[in-house]
Amino acid sequence: MKIQPFGDTALLITFEKVIEEEVNQKVINLYRSLKGKKGFDYLIPAYNSLTIGIDKSIWTLQEAILEVNKTQEAAQQTSLQESHNSFVIPVCYERAFAPDIEEVSIKTGLSAEQIVQLHTALTYRVYMLGFVAGFAYMGSLPEALTCSRKETPRSLVPEGAVGLAGRQTGIYPTEAPGGWQIVGKTPLKMFDAQRTETSLLKPGDEVRFRAIGADEFKIIQLKIETGIFEMEVPHE
Amino acid sequence: MSELILSFEKPGLYTSIQDAGRKGVQDQGIPIGGALDKDAMYIANRLVGNPEDNAVLEVTMVGPEILFEGSGQIAITGAEMEPTINGERVSMYKTLDITSGDRLNLDHAINGCRSYIAIGGEWLTPKWLGSQSAPANLMRNDDFPSTIKAGSSIMIQASPKVQSQTYPKNQRPLYTSCYIIRVVTGPEFESFNISHIQNFFDSIFVVDTSSNRMGYRLTGMIRGYVAQTEVISSGIVPGTVQITNAGSPVVLMADAQTTGGYPRIANVILEDLDIMAQMKPGDELRFMLISLEDL
Repeated sequence: MKIQPFGDTALLITFEKVIEEEVNQKVINLYRSLKGKKGFDYLIPAYNSLTIGIDKSIWTLQEAILEVNKTQEAAQQTSLQESHNSFVIPVCYERAFAPDIEEVSIKTGLSAEQIVQLHTALTYRVYMLGFVAGFAYMGSLPEALTCSRKETPRSLVPEGAVGLAGRQTGIYPTEAPGGWQIVGKTPLKMFDAQRTETSLLKPGDEVRFRAIGADEFKIIQLKIETGIFEMEVPHE
Repeated sequence: MSELILSFEKPGLYTSIQDAGRKGVQDQGIPIGGALDKDAMYIANRLVGNPEDNAVLEVTMVGPEILFEGSGQIAITGAEMEPTINGERVSMYKTLDITSGDRLNLDHAINGCRSYIAIGGEWLTPKWLGSQSAPANLMRNDDFPSTIKAGSSIMIQASPKVQSQTYPKNQRPLYTSCYIIRVVTGPEFESFNISHIQNFFDSIFVVDTSSNRMGYRLTGMIRGYVAQTEVISSGIVPGTVQITNAGSPVVLMADAQTTGGYPRIANVILEDLDIMAQMKPGDELRFMLISLEDL
């Protein structure tokens, strides 16, 4: 672990330079132990790093470094499987919702059916949120589904679009520009400003995708609008 | 206590409600936001007897025209936009009395980029996650009216008047069109080779017209820069200087996204972020490397 000042008001903690669950878990353990503590203005957990905003009216960067070091030792002794949520996210992969499925087909040599089958086969980890509010970076995709981003990013990707980029998958929580390959769409609201926790997903959560048809997409959408939708409980 | 209503006859180029921003929700991917020139906000608020991080109006490049209903006090700081009340020039950095029917006008910025208008009292504007700042692109303005349009109005519970004060002239910042901006090394500083680093500090960069509250794009690039293969996405803080694949620097400001994947060569120090906020397209800057021990 490397701890260094980041500007004159923040610290950056960096673990091993890889995208791996165990490394990300260290980030999340430290993040959880610091969350809500006085003197830390904000926390940005990422794949292998944690950015920590320091309240300079409480302490200097040097004092904060000592505190983080102290917390770090205890944080990494907590069990790895500590509280996280598991979600099943319904996704419609039909053509109308999947403008890039053909491009992914060409790039991976898989049929559309195989892409859906592979995308829904694994349980993914939420490594971090970023890019836009509520955008969860999830991984890792099966090797066979690895696919580069679009040459030219779209100026607008619709809300709910499910994308692929490299070994990562993600869902656009709001309309935004983006270059991920869009292979489906979820009716769920990944970001909702009215919720206390605006983002449905948090770093460390587990996600599985379930393929749905256009009819079920509409039904779920209606249920959400009328406030009677209940999240599916994952069963192992 | 009386009610003060502001009606915007003209919105200005980009006028928004800002305060200290929303810290503590960056783990949800939400930008910090808040006034870009914090010091100008603090001074304006103090002049009208407000807590220093009370909501203010942040005015960009071209000012609004505001009609007041009710009486109260205002103060204007930051960029010089030749403010008038009912056509008469009024002082900046001074507590000003407002009476019903007064019309405040801010013109074009003749120096600086952003003016701040503080109004004494509690702003009855929507709050989200502890802040009244405009949430960039996260909510429709109809749902969270915080970006000013023609016809917008703001209601304020005016506080009792304070004694008129003037902020000393010799303590006000000077705005020019050429700045030296102090930075400390960024997390990826050592991944740049020495000639690129030298070039970065030797170059005079120009603020691009596409600059906004999310970031300042600088024209000019590091000579011979070749993008590194892979930087694992990581956090961004206000003032982070990223180098894009084309070799141009971008200085990230309050509304920037919380993470990024470009190498972070340097970080503007907090104090100089207020100066950055007053830079306008076409202004020039050079970066000066300092060490944290110098602060």
